[in-house]
Amino acid sequence: MAKNIKSDDNELILVRRELLFQNEEKEKLIAELIVARKELVFQKEEKGKRAAELGIANIELAFQGEEKGKRAAELGIANKELVFEDEEKEKRAAELSIANKELVFQNEEKEKRAAELSIANKELAFQNEEKEKRAAELSIANKELAFQNEEKEKRATELDIANKELVFQNEEKEKRATELGIANKELAFQNEEKEKRATELSIANKELAFQNEEKEKRAAELGIANIELAFQNEEKEKRAAELSIANKELAFQNEEKGKRAAELSIANKELLAFTYISSHDLQEPLRKIQTFATIILKKENDNLSDNGKYNFQRMQLAAERMQQLIDDLLAFSRIHTTELKFERNELSLIIEEVKAELKDTIQDKKATIEAVDLCPANIIAFQFRQLMYNLISNALKFSNPEIPSHIIITSRIVKGNTLAIDRLSPEKNYCHITVKDNGIGFEPHFSERIFEVFQQLHSKEVYTGTGIGLAIVKKIVENHNGIIVATGELNKGATFDIYFPSNFKE
Amino acid sequence: MDSKQLNILLADDDIDDCVFFKEALAELNIATKLTAVHDGEKLMKLLTSKTNVLPHILFLDLNMPRKNGFECLSEIKENEKLKGLPVAVFSTSYEQEVVNLLYKNGAQYFIRKPAEFVQFKKIILHTLTLIMQENISQPKKEDFVLTIQNS
Repeated sequence: MAKNIKSDDNELILVRRELLFQNEEKEKLIAELIVARKELVFQKEEKGKRAAELGIANIELAFQGEEKGKRAAELGIANKELVFEDEEKEKRAAELSIANKELVFQNEEKEKRAAELSIANKELAFQNEEKEKRAAELSIANKELAFQNEEKEKRATELDIANKELVFQNEEKEKRATELGIANKELAFQNEEKEKRATELSIANKELAFQNEEKEKRAAELGIANIELAFQNEEKEKRAAELSIANKELAFQNEEKGKRAAELSIANKELLAFTYISSHDLQEPLRKIQTFATIILKKENDNLSDNGKYNFQRMQLAAERMQQLIDDLLAFSRIHTTELKFERNELSLIIEEVKAELKDTIQDKKATIEAVDLCPANIIAFQFRQLMYNLISNALKFSNPEIPSHIIITSRIVKGNTLAIDRLSPEKNYCHITVKDNGIGFEPHFSERIFEVFQQLHSKEVYTGTGIGLAIVKKIVENHNGIIVATGELNKGATFDIYFPSNFKE
Repeated sequence: MDSKQLNILLADDDIDDCVFFKEALAELNIATKLTAVHDGEKLMKLLTSKTNVLPHILFLDLNMPRKNGFECLSEIKENEKLKGLPVAVFSTSYEQEVVNLLYKNGAQYFIRKPAEFVQFKKIILHTLTLIMQENISQPKKEDFVLTIQNS
C-alpha cells in the first residue's frame, strides 16, 4: 500500500513540473505579442503622420497645380513612386494583418489553453488536496505500520535470540547426554576393574602380611648382623689406620732401599772397575817375582840349603796361586763390566780359539777334544769363550790320570717342550750344548754345589784352583738367559748341559 | 842363515824384562845381536832412519810410553819398506780381543811372557828358530799364539 502512495506522489510532481513549464512558455509568448502590438501602433501613427503630410502636400500640389502641370510629369513619377510605396505599404500592412490574425489566433489559443490550464490547475489542486489528505492518512497509517514493523522486528530478533539460545542449549544437552553415556560406560568399566583390583589387593594384602612377618624376622636378623658389621668396621678402620702407618713406613723404607740400591750399583761398578784394573796391573810384578825366583833357583841352587830350596818352592806355588786368582778375578770382573752385546757366532770358532789357548795342557794330558755338529748362536763372544775355556780346562784338570782325557762337545737346536725341564719355556727354541768328559767325575749330590763361588771338592794341594771357574760359567749362562745342569758320577766322568734361548731353527 | 848373526830388535819399556831377555839370549847357543829401545817413538825413529838395516825380527811390547805397541804395529804394516818385518808381540796379559786385533793388524806372533825363566828362554828360542827357518809370512790363526810345552 505504501508503494502505491509513493508512485502517485511521483506522478503528481511530474504533472506540476509540466504545468509550470507550459505557464512559463505562455508568459514568454504574451510578452512577444505585446511587443508586436506596440510595433503596429507605432506603424499606424507613422501612417497617420504621413497621410497628414500627404494632405499638406496635396494642397501644396493644388497650389502648385499650375506648377504641377509643370511638374506634373515630376509628380506623375513622384506619384507612381508613391503608389509603389503605398502598395508596398499595403503589402506590409497585409502581412502585418496576417501576422495579427495569427497573433490573435495564438492569443485565443493561449486563452483557451490558459482556461484549460486553469481548469486543469483546479483539478490538480483538488487532486493535490486529495492526495495530501490521503498522504496524511497514509503517513499516519505508515507510522502505525512502521511502529508495528519495529515491534515485529524487535520481537523477531528476540525470538531469533531465543531460538539460538534454545538451539545452543539443545546442542549442549545432546553433548552432555553423549558425555554422560561415555562416562557411564567408563564408570561401569572402572567398577569392574575396581572389583578385580579389590580381589587382587586382597590377595596382595595377604602376601604383604606374610612378607612383613618375614621382613620383621629378617630385620631382627639384620639388626644383629649390623651390630656385628659395625664392630667389624671399627676393627677394619683400626687396621686400615695401622696399615696406613705401616705403608708410610714401607714407602719410606723403599725410598731408602732405592737410594741404597743406586749407591750400591755405583759402588759395584766402581769395585768391578777397580778389580779389573788392579788385577791387570798386578800381573806384571807377580810375573817378575816368579821369573826372578826361577832364576835364583836355577843359578843359585848350589848355594841354597834344602830348607831354603823348599821355602823357595813354596813361594813359587803361592805366586802361581796368586796368578791363578788374578786371572780368575779378571775373568769374573770382565763378565760384569762389559756391556752385553749378543752377536751371531760360530761355536766351532770359539772352541778352536780355546783349544789354541789350552794347547800346552791338552798336550800334557794327551787329551783329545772332539767338537762335532756345532751350530751358530747369538752369544756374547768373549763371555762364551770364557765359558768354554773354563769348562774345557776344568775337564782337563779333573781328568783321570790313568786314561787319556777325552772331551766331547756337541750342540743342537731343540724345542723346549722336548726337554722335560721345568725352568724352560715349552714354546721356545733352545741351543743345547753338551761338554762331556771321561775324568774323575763327582758324587751326584754335589751337582749344584760345584757352581757356587769358592766351593771346591778337592784340596788345592791335589788340584789347583780358585773355586771361581764354574761360578763364572754359571753366571755367563745366566747372562744368556739360560740354565746349566751338571751330572756326574765318581770316576765315571762329568757332563755339563747348557740350554739358552736361540732364534735359530732346528 | 845359521852362519849369520841374527839381528834382534826389542821394544820394551820394562828394564827387568829387557834384562830377562838379554840373559835368555845369552844362554841360547845362537849368534845374535840385540838392540833395545824403551818407547814407541824411539822405535819408529830407529826403523825409519836411512842408515838403519832392518832387523830379522822385532819383539814388541804393547804397553809403552809415548807410542804404544798397537800404533807402532800399524805404522810398520802401513810402511812399504817396513811391512815385511816380522813382529812378535810380547805381552804380560792374554786377552782374546787383543790377540784377534793384533792378528788382523798383521803381527807375526803373539807371545805371553812366561813367569818361569826357563819358559822365557824356550819361547824366545822357539820364536827365533821359526824366523831362522824363514817363517816370515803371517801364519794361520791357530799358529799365531806361540806356546811352549813343559816337557
